[in-house]
Amino acid sequence: MIKSKIRSILSGVKSRIFYSTCLVITTAVLSFMLFSGSIIKSSLNKGMDNMDRRLGSDIMLVPKGSREEAENLLLEGQRGTFYFDGSVDDKVKDIEGISEVTSQCFLKSLSADCCSSEVELVFYDPDTDFVVGPWIETNYKNSLKKDDVIVGSDIVTENGTIKLFGKDYEVVSQMAKTGTALDSSVYFSSESMASVIADAEEKNSFLTEEQKDGDILSSVFINLNAGYNEDDVIRECHEKAGDVFDVVYPKQLNESLSDNLLRITDIVGAVILIGGVLLFGILVLINSVIIESRKQEVALLRVLGNSKGKMAAMLISETGIVSLFGSLVGCLLGALIVIPFGRYIGMSLSMPYLGPDFIGSTLQIIFIMAIVFLVALVSSIVFVFHVTGIEPYLALKKEAE
Amino acid sequence: MLVSEKITYRYKKNKRTILNSVDYSLEEGQFSAVMGESGSGKSTFLAIMAGILKPVEGTVRYNDVDLYELTDKELSKIHRNSICYVPQSNIMLKNITVLENIVNPYIEADPEADLKKKAISLLEKLGIGNLAGNYPYELSGGELKRASIVRAALMGPKVIIADEPTTGLDKETGNRILSFLSEYAKEGNSVLVATHDEHIEKYADKIIRLERK
Repeated sequence: MIKSKIRSILSGVKSRIFYSTCLVITTAVLSFMLFSGSIIKSSLNKGMDNMDRRLGSDIMLVPKGSREEAENLLLEGQRGTFYFDGSVDDKVKDIEGISEVTSQCFLKSLSADCCSSEVELVFYDPDTDFVVGPWIETNYKNSLKKDDVIVGSDIVTENGTIKLFGKDYEVVSQMAKTGTALDSSVYFSSESMASVIADAEEKNSFLTEEQKDGDILSSVFINLNAGYNEDDVIRECHEKAGDVFDVVYPKQLNESLSDNLLRITDIVGAVILIGGVLLFGILVLINSVIIESRKQEVALLRVLGNSKGKMAAMLISETGIVSLFGSLVGCLLGALIVIPFGRYIGMSLSMPYLGPDFIGSTLQIIFIMAIVFLVALVSSIVFVFHVTGIEPYLALKKEAE
Repeated sequence: MLVSEKITYRYKKNKRTILNSVDYSLEEGQFSAVMGESGSGKSTFLAIMAGILKPVEGTVRYNDVDLYELTDKELSKIHRNSICYVPQSNIMLKNITVLENIVNPYIEADPEADLKKKAISLLEKLGIGNLAGNYPYELSGGELKRASIVRAALMGPKVIIADEPTTGLDKETGNRILSFLSEYAKEGNSVLVATHDEHIEKYADKIIRLERK
């Protein structure tokens, strides 16, 4: 029974291939817009949330002339190889108004040493850290020991270990995806730094002189006590450490990005809304043309023994099936374009971007298909009842004339 | 079998009365024809007898059941199994084959294979079995008319009501259609046609003539 009903509906669709194609195209465009827009919007939001969680300091000191690179680090997680003296954190930690200080050092490995692509090595002090820890604490609550590592989501491990410069390190945790270069980072305790550099030298990996020296830092993160002025503290830092650093304000950067994000998601939302309304109008128009052109057919089917209810069910089912198909096409097209190019979209918007996972995308597709299906049905229902309500003989006579 | 009592019909717009208190009865096995000049109300009369146009006054009874007192669902059942109407125009969907046009309206009621087999047998009987797989636009008017009659006869209704089934057709095709309908009536069914075709006298058991009012 169900099989014959489906066959009957499909034959109806086939018999009006032109209109069915118009409906498929319209619903596909609508679904593409909804899917792409909502995926971009949610990915930007997720990227922003992630960034919020990792921008855990009031000010960040970076080597003089490295401000831009450091901002890229914060925004897109792109590591740089910039260094200043390894004692900067010690020099500033006791300044009045500073509540906590932690530092990090970044190295880049050569791809041949461990991985298919270049990985970033991040050394941090688990005892003073307040930047990396909160970010990974859902994955790993213990303090990182020497020769233990935490890896980003894109790093492939073998039996829970990773080989770097010829040495195996135990991977104690793998981080969730961030949509940035952090995904290809390996996190070490600062204790491991000297031995990693020694291994790198032994393997003849390229190291600059200052990297070989080992007593270096890439950035110092500082949190202030309440009521203290950032400028006063920075002035004091200059006095203690000398004119060796530039200052980056992560939270200000975050606020300006939040404003950007709000604007972008507002625009995306407006485009979705306007597009949705326009396409609803187009669906109404297409349905009115399709159903008007089917008056005689409906009249004939009525005189051949199909009740009004059955005709209404048939017409609505046809619209439903065609719009579901169109919606699936649109969503898949959206997934094919938006998901693989997500990283590029994030980069071109200069925003952190964290694309959806498989389950998230599937749920999104189901949700959008349901919305488009309902919109298509609502847009057709009035016409369906208009057509099924006509006198069959009068409609057939009109055709004969 | 199918009886009308004092049916009257007048157009809503100009109030012209087209049928006035017409009594008629169609018996089992009978091939009956309605003749009359254009505008005499032949088509209107057939539509009322078929249960698809409600008269202003009067009743139409099929086996003692008033067609216009039935619910939409009950009337649809009668149209599917008992009274089938063939309109004057040949309405076919152009993107599906002739066979699909014939079978699809009933596809939910019976297994498709059985319906197709029966449809091809009827098409062969009317001399167009070879056109089953063709598209409607590949057929002539006469061929389309025959396909429309096959569609009406497919479920074996007790009554076929055909509006001008031979109009515009050559003599040979017209005779073939009338012959088919006559045979159909003789199988214990009934046929009512509206026509201008004088050859009907050779086939019809009963002819009534309507006058233009």
